[in-house]
Amino acid sequence: MLTLQKLTRASVVLTFPALCLLLLVFAIPIVQLFFNSINAPALSLVNYVTFFVHPANVRVLIQTIEVSIVATVICAIIGYPTAYLITAASKQVRSVLVILVLIPYLTSSLARTYAWVMILGDRGLINNLLLDLRVITSPLPLIYNRMAMYIGMVHIMLPIMILPLVSVMLGIDKSQVAAARSMGARPFSAFWRVFLPLSLPGLRSGALLVFILSLGFYITPAALGGLRDAMLSTFIAAEVQSSFNLGRIGAASFILLAIAMTVLAVLRLNPAGPKGNAASDRRNRFPAAGALVRHLTELGTLRRARRWNMHLYRAGDATHVWRFIGITVVIFTLLFLLFPGVVVIIVSFSAGTQLEFPPSGFSVQWYRSFFADPSWNRAALSSFEIAISVTIISTILGTLAAYGLSRSAPMLRNVLTLVLLAPITFPVIVVGIAAYLGLVSFGLVGSKTGIVLAHSIGAMSYVVVVVAATLANFDTSLEQAAKSMRAGPFRTFMRVTLPLIRPGILGGAVFAFLHSFDEVVISLLVSGLSIRTLPLKMWENIRHEIDPTVAAVASLLMLLPVLWLVAMYFIWWRSRSRMQAASARMLAAV
Amino acid sequence: MNAPVRTLHPLAKDRPLEKLALSEQIEFRNVTKLYSQVTAVRSLSLTVGRGEFLTILGPSGSGKTTTLMLLAGFEAPTEGDIRIAGKSVASVPSYRRDQGVVFQSYALFPHLTVRRNLEFPLEMRGIRSAERAARAERILSRVHLDGLGDRMPSQLSGGQQQRVALARALIADPPILLLDEPLGALDRNLREQMQGEIKGLHKEFGITTVCVTHDQEEALTLSDRIVVMNAGRIEQTDTPEALYDRPVSRFVANFLGDANILDDPSFAVESDTPQPDGTVAMIRPERIRISAPGATKSADADQRQHVAGTVTDMIYAGPLRRYHVAVGDNDVVIREHVAAGRQIFQIGDTIQLDWLRSDIRFVTT
Repeated sequence: MLTLQKLTRASVVLTFPALCLLLLVFAIPIVQLFFNSINAPALSLVNYVTFFVHPANVRVLIQTIEVSIVATVICAIIGYPTAYLITAASKQVRSVLVILVLIPYLTSSLARTYAWVMILGDRGLINNLLLDLRVITSPLPLIYNRMAMYIGMVHIMLPIMILPLVSVMLGIDKSQVAAARSMGARPFSAFWRVFLPLSLPGLRSGALLVFILSLGFYITPAALGGLRDAMLSTFIAAEVQSSFNLGRIGAASFILLAIAMTVLAVLRLNPAGPKGNAASDRRNRFPAAGALVRHLTELGTLRRARRWNMHLYRAGDATHVWRFIGITVVIFTLLFLLFPGVVVIIVSFSAGTQLEFPPSGFSVQWYRSFFADPSWNRAALSSFEIAISVTIISTILGTLAAYGLSRSAPMLRNVLTLVLLAPITFPVIVVGIAAYLGLVSFGLVGSKTGIVLAHSIGAMSYVVVVVAATLANFDTSLEQAAKSMRAGPFRTFMRVTLPLIRPGILGGAVFAFLHSFDEVVISLLVSGLSIRTLPLKMWENIRHEIDPTVAAVASLLMLLPVLWLVAMYFIWWRSRSRMQAASARMLAAV
Repeated sequence: MNAPVRTLHPLAKDRPLEKLALSEQIEFRNVTKLYSQVTAVRSLSLTVGRGEFLTILGPSGSGKTTTLMLLAGFEAPTEGDIRIAGKSVASVPSYRRDQGVVFQSYALFPHLTVRRNLEFPLEMRGIRSAERAARAERILSRVHLDGLGDRMPSQLSGGQQQRVALARALIADPPILLLDEPLGALDRNLREQMQGEIKGLHKEFGITTVCVTHDQEEALTLSDRIVVMNAGRIEQTDTPEALYDRPVSRFVANFLGDANILDDPSFAVESDTPQPDGTVAMIRPERIRISAPGATKSADADQRQHVAGTVTDMIYAGPLRRYHVAVGDNDVVIREHVAAGRQIFQIGDTIQLDWLRSDIRFVTT
């Protein structure tokens, strides 16, 4: 009894169920994969040598890095000003804008990729339009090339860049920029010297998330890219389908993982959130240039000091043009994010035998065919079943783990957080292969239980991130207060902690559900072709353009995040005072 | 609801603590608390009598909050023992101890109404809902918050939240009340008002109270006794008056009020008692008189020491005038009430200071 009590007082115990699941489904297999890659026990690097000997492989590797960097840079270039403008908007406008960014973020990436097929395809929106206008006589090759791949990738990744930026920018004390201006800084240098450095943590975590996701990206490159645009993940997937040589797969996976980890280590970012080493950030990056700039600044100070008063009362004047440019940028970004969804919804009501834009007539035939076709119904049903099981498992395990982490010593907490978040920091294809190997040893490949377990590890990571962020905001003296009033640990948790972190837990549950409901890559590997989830069936249809019903499914999937947002709004609205904090934390976490 | 035992306690200053054994409520025996290598509290021994109001005073990092957390059961001592009413509680978790705690942040449950907050400790003790409601109503009116029971804590002002926190800590009639910087978050006027409130409640409930603060004024007004802590150790334990009048160390003298340390070796301090080794002479600013060099001496001149000095600064502070005077190498501060007919000195003036030899104190360095 006493030892049990002592054990339960060590809160790290609460992370054990989550760690157990992770160990069995993910960690042990990944070690196994590593040993396979070095031909253990022979310990040879032959698989790695073989990889690098083939120029084609090296080309794929370089291409993967190149595509990831370009996609990250484009996201940063579009995302930073957009985030800045969102932050600068009035409170109401801002929350609307954030929701408009959140909707695509929460929408199935499969549905969004499909939208670009609809737009860029040979019989897609653009080609049809140009053909109708007789600008061209035969369709332009817009799809299946590098350009289409970038458009699709940036479209998918942009919210992931914007959201952390917005959350960091909202946290910046505006009076600091005002202070810089009061000291004679022009608007631009106030931005450059004060705002930009303070917003760098957001830029860094956004860029990191985009880069790492791009590295392991499979769906969009495979659907929109050309044959020559293979990414490392495509290579690994092909290897899985053709030979299933574990040594070669392992080598490629660990090369991919090594790149991801190197970037993580170099940017020294804790994937748990965009907080962290802000202090090390403030060091001057360009000492020499800095001195020169400072000298020039001093020369201009007197004149500027005189102008400062004028400027103070003239804020709106010269900014008319800037206002216009700003609004245009935001509108274009949002159009880019939301328009493809609208296209799919419109197309899904096409009347003809094929999907077309603009539709020649209105019909709900594809919806009817979705609801009438047993194979679609079965797929939807399994997806719901799996997603609900995943949500329950991962919410319980993830919440316990997050709670345990928040009450553990900092060192232990950091290490365990990194471990628990591995399923969403590792390239998804690597996670899929690990999960496959893990399920093989339990004979669960091709079973619903197997898919549930494979989805649960990633879903759990999301729950841990969101709940941990909520808990970081939690005043522990509330728990102490409860205990001082004779509430034991269990009652304290149920009566005080749980009600207060409920928004975070529900937010985590939503993420867990969506993670499972949209998952393609891992499902593809562990379903063993015997189970079809909705995304798997959609993916098949998108690749082979069999059944236009997929447009109806995609449209329905677009509705899902809207429903979730409405639900979350009501959950948070009920705890109004905490809504602001919770949503800010959520943003910081995602 | 008056507590007769309380009257014993003002005697604490003259009486060896062992003689109070019968009425002591809380006892720390050589308690040490280590936080991964850092010693927060080192071999601390302390007793608190039944019904006493004891304040632990110290700068941040002195270990005062750790001491309170140990007492509340949120931390366990690394060494030593804590006893409450004669029983060791070192391994008793906070939720099995019977005490009310008021937190610096108040720690009102934001998701419960004021009434539900107040009923929480009763609910945890298994008291029926009808009685809970009645007691909540009674204590609400006692802290002058009638009619606010259905508000959420966020809808209350700082002072009202403070009252709810106090009421919540007292509602279950615990024998011990712990206050962690209870008035830290309030503005000056409200703070004075709440000091009176706390004092009244303490008297009325006769509850043994341990309060932690860094605010000397709060400590002086509220407490029966004050413990001054520094770097994890107790510097001195005494009644407020004794502490101010007879500080044992330089730290205590400086922490409570202003102190003039006369440590210039070229300057011989006269005193009625011999100066112990390892001490310096100290005198409070308000014990020093300032006058023009040739001024007529008072009747008790033979009991006074007279020294010459130069005014280096004069600060006008409402009812008081503060002089800084250089006496040898010492910077001596004098506080004088502003009154009609009193001579005002300017910077650079040579003046004469004098004080009673019996007002000199020797404090350890």
